[in-house]
Amino acid sequence: MFKIIANREVGPGIFQLVLNYDQLPQNPEPGHFFNIKVSQDGSEDPLLRRPFSIFDFDAAEKKIEFVYRVIGKGTKILSNLENGTELDVLGPLGTPFSLNKSGGSIHLIGGGMGIAPLYYLAKKLKSSRQTLYLGAANKAELEFFEEKFKGLGVECHLAAMEEKLEIRGSALVLWLNYLEKNTPDYIYTCGPEKMLAAVEKEALKHNIGGELSVEKRMGCGIGVCLSCSCESRDQDQKNKRACVEGPVFGLGEVILSV
Amino acid sequence: MFKGEVDSLKQKLTEADLNLSVVMKSQQHQQQNNLKLKNPLITASGTCGNGKELADFFDINQLGAFTTKGITVKPQAGNKTPRIAETAAGIINSIGLENPGVDSFIKDILPETKNYSLPILANISGYSKEDFITLAEKLEKREEITGIEVNLSCPNIKGGGMIFGTDPEKVYQITKKVREIYSGYLIVKLTPNITDITETALAAENAGADAVSMINTLSAMKIDIDQQKPLLANTFGGLSGPAVRPVAVRMVYQSFKKLNIPILGLGGVRSGSDVIEFMLAGAAAVGIGTVNMIDPTAGPRIIGEIKEYMLKHQIKNLSSIIGAAH
Ligand SMILES: Cc1cc2nc3c(=O)[nH]c(=O)nc-3n(C[C@H](O)[C@H](O)[C@H](O)COP(=O)(O)OP(=O)(O)OC[C@H]3O[C@@H](n4cnc5c(N)ncnc54)[C@H](O)[C@@H]3O)c2cc1C
Ligand SMILES: Cc1cc2nc3c(=O)[nH]c(=O)nc-3n(C[C@H](O)[C@H](O)[C@H](O)COP(=O)(O)O)c2cc1C
Ligand code: FES
Repeated sequence: MFKIIANREVGPGIFQLVLNYDQLPQNPEPGHFFNIKVSQDGSEDPLLRRPFSIFDFDAAEKKIEFVYRVIGKGTKILSNLENGTELDVLGPLGTPFSLNKSGGSIHLIGGGMGIAPLYYLAKKLKSSRQTLYLGAANKAELEFFEEKFKGLGVECHLAAMEEKLEIRGSALVLWLNYLEKNTPDYIYTCGPEKMLAAVEKEALKHNIGGELSVEKRMGCGIGVCLSCSCESRDQDQKNKRACVEGPVFGLGEVILSV
Repeated sequence: MFKGEVDSLKQKLTEADLNLSVVMKSQQHQQQNNLKLKNPLITASGTCGNGKELADFFDINQLGAFTTKGITVKPQAGNKTPRIAETAAGIINSIGLENPGVDSFIKDILPETKNYSLPILANISGYSKEDFITLAEKLEKREEITGIEVNLSCPNIKGGGMIFGTDPEKVYQITKKVREIYSGYLIVKLTPNITDITETALAAENAGADAVSMINTLSAMKIDIDQQKPLLANTFGGLSGPAVRPVAVRMVYQSFKKLNIPILGLGGVRSGSDVIEFMLAGAAAVGIGTVNMIDPTAGPRIIGEIKEYMLKHQIKNLSSIIGAAH
């Protein structure tokens, strides 16, 4: 059983959702996601669950945390749910980030709500040399995250499309400004698929390894329906399910749609 | 205490008295060819993986039978994504029969089903009569499976599937060919994208099918009004989920009186009441599809809800209600 203990707006249309749980099948790791039923009291609309990445986790307090943007019907309903509401939640699901590369210098590149899985990741990575490149529409959308990451001692670079911060533009452009003079050992990225494809291309060109997390439209989130298939670059050409083999993939592992 | 009261006390059924089993008769007129199910719930192809995914959530042997994801002769990568769109009380999918092909199915997937004790049904699809012949030949005498479900109704592949399923003559020919080759339980899965489903259902019966299943998904689409483009990469997909249930129930009801073979009814089942509704319309067994994608433990929950209904109405044998609404 999961119960809402906080569901508050932390930026324009961006909410932080904190749940208390009784028990979990396993503790979530960075990159895992949960599939949340947002419709209440057996309603059939919306029918499908909504996937959200783990933003933060506290085993001692039995708390899991998400941040989400209100997009459509499902997230609108979610944003109106009050403290004390019990939620039907499945998870943790998927394949998480690997943390074994966490020794050297690391770049975290987040586009929009692609920031969500990177916070718990930054918290768990052993490296003290982490830099975040984060892009969003405007400053107001970034403030909550900047404060959170700074709290972990992560160096933050911010870009916005609607106003000039460090630059006016995307997380990708911002990151490219630093890539040559400050080449990392490893990167982790999440955001729109077009951005992921561009980041992947640049990283591979510079021989940098890393991992990305994709946001594919999902049916089930548990591997039964094949809605979330990603074309693979493996020899055997077998598709990979974003909900089971992903959402985290190694750079170059799957073909991203651009 | 009055005598009547004593009698009703004596007769009051408890959960232990309930019999949920159903027998789907075979046209081959031999007892051993019948499909015996401990309860009427059968997983719908393509919505339950191949067993192990759901087995993480509950013991799937509690179900009546398991239908595997549709297979074709050759491996298929499926359609481009997005492959799924949501609509009021339903989903539209255009998976496009992604599957590893029949040889890999036999080599890699069938051995895993040995871990289960419930009947396994293999769902097959093709682009030509020859494809169905090949599939029937390869699956004939595979002891891992109890039967096959011939999908003549997939809306998501070009040039096959549904094209066969809308023509009673083709349904007859393919079913007859498959029947000649395949000796296990033979189910023919029909499309609702047709004026009169009883014509294709009768064609399947006349060609020797043991049962028909109805319905596959309804051809549908969704347009992304911001992009001003179809949402699915494949443009069209198939609608499933609660939204289609009244259509499916109507088709089962219409077919029940005309057919002599059992019907596997499916489309939009979400609860025990829905299973009862299908059975009252005439379904001998009931498929659960989309609901598993939302609630992986729907199967055992629905079985519990069926029992509640039986206790409430003091029904000892579930099979006694098949077609009772007529
Ligand atoms: C693995 C994973 C992790 C995610 N983590 C987060 C997160 O931490 N924070 C966050 O804000 N968002 C996250 N998303 C995106 C989030 O799931 C969607 O924004 C949300 O489902 C939108 O639902 P809606 O009903 O408001 O929108 P609608 O547009 O009404 O939804 C209609 C359908 O499309 C799907 N959909 C719409 N947008 C997306 C999208 N971008 N990605 C996948 N499916 C989508 C919905 O799930 C639903 O099935 C994640 C997506 C995935 C796949
Ligand atoms: C994601 C998905 C995949 C499906 N794949 C198959 C398939 O491979 N073969 C088949 O015969 N039917 C397939 N179907 C149809 C279902 O088996 C079922 O007939 C239909 O969805 C109606 O039932 P439901 O509303 O309970 O899902 C699929 C349906 C969905 C939603
Ligand atoms: S969403 Fe169903 S298999 Fe991934």
